[in-house]
Amino acid sequence: MKRAQWLRDAALTLGIMLLTFALVLMMQRFFAVDRLIPMLFVLGVFLVALHTNGYVWGVAASLLGVLAVNYAFMFPYYAIDLLTPVNMTTAVVMLAVSIMTSTLTTQISIQQELKANAERERMRANLLRAISHDLRTPLTSIYGACSVLLDSADSIERSRQRELLEDMRKESDWLIRMVENLLTVTRIDEKRMLVKRTPTVLEELLDSVLVKFRKHYPGQPVQLSLPDEFVSIPMDPMLIEQVLINLLENAVIHAEGMQTLEMSVSLANGKACFCVRDDGCGIPRERLEKLFTGYLDRDQTVSDSQRKGMGIGLFVCAAIIRAHGGEITAANLPEGGAAFRFALDMEEDDEQQ
Amino acid sequence: MSNNNYKILVVEDDRSVSSMLKTMLDVSPYECISAENCCQGLMMLSSHMPDLVILDLGLPDKDGMEFIRTARRGNTAPILVLSARSTETDKVEALDLGANDYITKPFSPAELMARIRAALRAGRRNAADESALSGSFELHDLAIHYAARQVTVGGQPVHLTQTEYNILVLLAEHAGKLLTYAAMHSAIWGEADPGGIKKLQVNMANLRKKLGIRPGDNRYIVNELGVGYRMPLEEE
Repeated sequence: MKRAQWLRDAALTLGIMLLTFALVLMMQRFFAVDRLIPMLFVLGVFLVALHTNGYVWGVAASLLGVLAVNYAFMFPYYAIDLLTPVNMTTAVVMLAVSIMTSTLTTQISIQQELKANAERERMRANLLRAISHDLRTPLTSIYGACSVLLDSADSIERSRQRELLEDMRKESDWLIRMVENLLTVTRIDEKRMLVKRTPTVLEELLDSVLVKFRKHYPGQPVQLSLPDEFVSIPMDPMLIEQVLINLLENAVIHAEGMQTLEMSVSLANGKACFCVRDDGCGIPRERLEKLFTGYLDRDQTVSDSQRKGMGIGLFVCAAIIRAHGGEITAANLPEGGAAFRFALDMEEDDEQQ
Repeated sequence: MSNNNYKILVVEDDRSVSSMLKTMLDVSPYECISAENCCQGLMMLSSHMPDLVILDLGLPDKDGMEFIRTARRGNTAPILVLSARSTETDKVEALDLGANDYITKPFSPAELMARIRAALRAGRRNAADESALSGSFELHDLAIHYAARQVTVGGQPVHLTQTEYNILVLLAEHAGKLLTYAAMHSAIWGEADPGGIKKLQVNMANLRKKLGIRPGDNRYIVNELGVGYRMPLEEE
């Protein structure tokens, strides 16, 4: 990796400087003036500094430029002579300009990287803030309910006690699923945003999804359609399982008036296309655009009643599919309802397995 | 059935989880003894001879894996691993060292009890007789008649290949125990080879098809993604 980078930079530096040299030679044919020469070399140095890593190549390019100018375009022609005062001055000025240019451009690329880092940090901070907010609400309810039960159980009716306990279980359940989502995100390699893929049998994946989904929503049937043949897809099965569960759950919570919920997989062009669709109320137009990033961008003053509507689920889905090299999309269907789609490559990764 | 004398050893360092488990077990017909660390757990394992161990993997003195390794040098009591770790490699390692099953925190009492019953029954059958292959095995409307090497679903015979039959029998023999891909592969084909998991998965797919199993409506074989397969002993 390091070596390849070095070779690339070296080749780039040499290439650009040679090109500049050729260009200057050509220019000399057309215009019989010397004014353009140093300018063109500074341009060359600038390009080198912009496209290589670190200061070294820019400085090397400036030295090369100075020597080339001195050799070919200053009197005495085709000989290095740095001792005449005019040549020496030209050389020093040119060297200074090129070195400064090259350090400046290097600074720019460093700053770009810093900016990207800052953006990542901002995302992370937003995520943390959103999560803490979301955790606090159910925790408040659980903490309050069990404190009341501990402190004054005697003065509370038995049926009301039971209600409080049931609320506690419901809120804990919500917390568990929240934490599960967060855990899956940590499985994504943060630097490269990649996942470890293992060949997964489609049928087994869908079976596992349905078994887990049914535990939470025993009354909700899911129609299933998948290819008849044996299909094995390289993926992180735990993550894709989480995506499908989130999408099914999302439909149950949001698709009002839903009659049928369908999960289907079809194969086309070396890809496995997953689709979760419902025939409910569809997604409001204003929400559609920020459906997958809304979790981070939402207003800090969002009321708690909106908590369930701004779940972390879709944000996690998008992150997982992106880490698999795909894109998740949501659309309203002309016949009513909404469909979420994503595709996974069927090709085996060369490095894995 | 009197379960009164089933003794369960809980090895868990977290007080509140341990006390919660004890409460859960006390209202059920099991006797619960608890240990707070690996050494104490191993000592109680040899002195109390429990029928089942519930083991937390993150213990203060030694890793839970070490407990399984040491315990398996002579003790056959089923071990049910309980852990907050949830990567497949952890699960596979614990199972390959000799744990019977794996349950991830947080779990529901019903889930835990079902796994305990399954593990206890699996353990009891192992201890009872070596000739388990005589007679038959039944799960819902699936039946295996060992002597005739015949499998029926709802009374209808199902025709399986030699390999498919062997896989089904292996799962039935270890019903209640989670079998890793590698363990199943070496049990069926003798040795491990790199392309082995695929071969197992293809055979499993054919077996499911012949048994009439549809995804989501699978009462015979539980898929633990990335880990292996388990035949349940009852509705879980």
